[in-house]
Amino acid sequence: MILKRLLFIMICPFIFGQLSINGAIKPMIMFNISDQDQMNLPFRFAQLRMGYTIGDFDLLINSALEHRWGENQSSNFILREAYATWFPSWGEIKFGRQIHAWGVADGNNPTDNLNPYDFYYMFMQGADRKIGSLSLSVISYWNNWQLEGVIIPSHVSNRLPFNEPEFPFQIPIEPTEYEDRDNSLEYGLQLKTVIGETDIGISYFDGYDRSFSLLGIDTFNIIQVSPKFGYRSTSAIGLNMVTFIKDFTIRVESALFNTINDYEAKWYNYLDAKADYVQYVIQVEYRMKSSNTIGAQIIGNNVLKASGNTLDLPNMYMTTLNTNNFVPGMGTPFAMISNKSLLVIGSNRFFDDDLELNYNLLFNMENPGQLFGLSLEYLLSDDWFINVSASYFIGNNDPINRFEQLEDYSNTQFQLSYTF
Amino acid sequence: MKNIFIIFTSILSIIYAQNGLEIATMVDNREVPKDIISKTTMLLTNRKEKTRNSTILSKSSNNGSKQILWFLAPSDDKGVAFLKIEHDNKSDEMRMWLPAFKKVRRISSSKKGDSFMGSDLSYEDMTSRSLEENRYKRLEDETLDGKDCFVLEVLPNDDIKSTYSKHITWIDKGSLIAVKEESYDLGGGLRKKKKFFFESISGYDVINKIFVEDIQKNHTTTLTMEDIKVDSGLDQSLFQEKNLKRLPSN
Repeated sequence: MILKRLLFIMICPFIFGQLSINGAIKPMIMFNISDQDQMNLPFRFAQLRMGYTIGDFDLLINSALEHRWGENQSSNFILREAYATWFPSWGEIKFGRQIHAWGVADGNNPTDNLNPYDFYYMFMQGADRKIGSLSLSVISYWNNWQLEGVIIPSHVSNRLPFNEPEFPFQIPIEPTEYEDRDNSLEYGLQLKTVIGETDIGISYFDGYDRSFSLLGIDTFNIIQVSPKFGYRSTSAIGLNMVTFIKDFTIRVESALFNTINDYEAKWYNYLDAKADYVQYVIQVEYRMKSSNTIGAQIIGNNVLKASGNTLDLPNMYMTTLNTNNFVPGMGTPFAMISNKSLLVIGSNRFFDDDLELNYNLLFNMENPGQLFGLSLEYLLSDDWFINVSASYFIGNNDPINRFEQLEDYSNTQFQLSYTF
Repeated sequence: MKNIFIIFTSILSIIYAQNGLEIATMVDNREVPKDIISKTTMLLTNRKEKTRNSTILSKSSNNGSKQILWFLAPSDDKGVAFLKIEHDNKSDEMRMWLPAFKKVRRISSSKKGDSFMGSDLSYEDMTSRSLEENRYKRLEDETLDGKDCFVLEVLPNDDIKSTYSKHITWIDKGSLIAVKEESYDLGGGLRKKKKFFFESISGYDVINKIFVEDIQKNHTTTLTMEDIKVDSGLDQSLFQEKNLKRLPSN
């Protein structure tokens, strides 16, 4: 009897619902251009996505197997998303570990701050470089209007590559602990509509930085110094727009951030940092006659004002925080590389669309620095692809120039993909 | 008997007197289903005979002026969805759901010549042809595969910025459905040859196969519609962004 019941429970989903399983296996190998040595950074070897639909409900599990080659060869199972969605007639409600995507520009979205970034994948596109976080999302549709509210009960930070010599940026300090908060609830609201032929959206997010900051130092005596790390409180007001002018598509996105160290001032040296900064992306894209595309983005990060104290790390003394030494803890990762950059992206197809060439050129508009990226994807069959790509960074011999730091990260990648 | 003869000759004279616009109007006024649901297989074949197959679930209403498509296969494209809403007084609205990016992307409708998902069909080919936006000239009637056909030369008006200079369209006199079309590029060269096949479903003549050959690229697309359902009473609220994100269960 119990066996029959168990069998009935197991069979039920297949009778009344719809199960879908798809995924990809993508072995990849990466070489450093300068010395042709293999780079053993982690990558997603396999991805599996399972969906189950019954009535107005969906369940989705999105997982990946992360693998690292080399001496420290290892594999980790990562549950990237696991959430349920209810689709009432007026919209959708999602709950669980999920990745959100706000903003209208491609890849670089200052208004998209709901999820932390996985910096091991910072040069990937879209949701691939984000980390899922437990949240509740409610979207309501009404004619041309769309209102979305997101609540994240507990703050999740970026995944940063500590002690990773092959990663382009070396993080000087790995905090052993972070200052706790009694309540780290975050929330966001987004309103979108269509006016004429233009899509317009405004958003607001209130939460905590995704990258850590030094908040204060407790000094017991001249030898015992205890740095205090944590996440500043940050809010962002966003604005985005998509419009069309003749054959050009214009996507504009901007966010004004306000950040403050609002931890209780209980340490010997409290760094009462406070700043306003703005990040923006202006994207113009053009589709050529042959369906090939070319687009450009201007990505900007501008610190409007900064006040309070900070620590001059190389010299270890307290100094005034200003617009030059302030480091944002939230926003688009590309703003970390440059305060103003021009990104040119294009794609062309050859050999009856079997071969796709994607290229991207990033120019630092304030200091010397360029990135040249090239990717060739060849379609072997409906399910098999082969991809060869290269990224080449050029700096200016200045050790604090981000592009100079990225020079050693210049690499070639070879990947075989099978999707099912 | 005399009356029947008079009626018959009157009809004949009307038919022969019809000019291009009148035939196009008859085609436009042809009774069509309120909505169509179909599962479409899209087969792309390149000059080396290499093929790529896609399966699409399509739901359309208002003679195709509102359409929503979900890609079911291949696995790499599964979940990608496309929404098109044609407007009379402003540019058409086109949106795509890209699951990998978790974003609904608004796309330009001005580039009508863009290929739809790598096929030989452009967005312009997929958009209903408005009667007022073209000029029509009747050519000599022809018989095609045993069907008596009107032959029309369709010239897009300059202001609509078509990617074609003209179309020659063969229209089956019985069903008033286009069964063949040749489309010419802006330089006057033959660009595409299209063939349409249809079947009768619930009293309507409904297209069940489209063959498109891009002469210049030497590339073909065959769309085969299966499980065609008409007048299912599709709710107009289906044609909204929110429905792109979810593969329908039926």
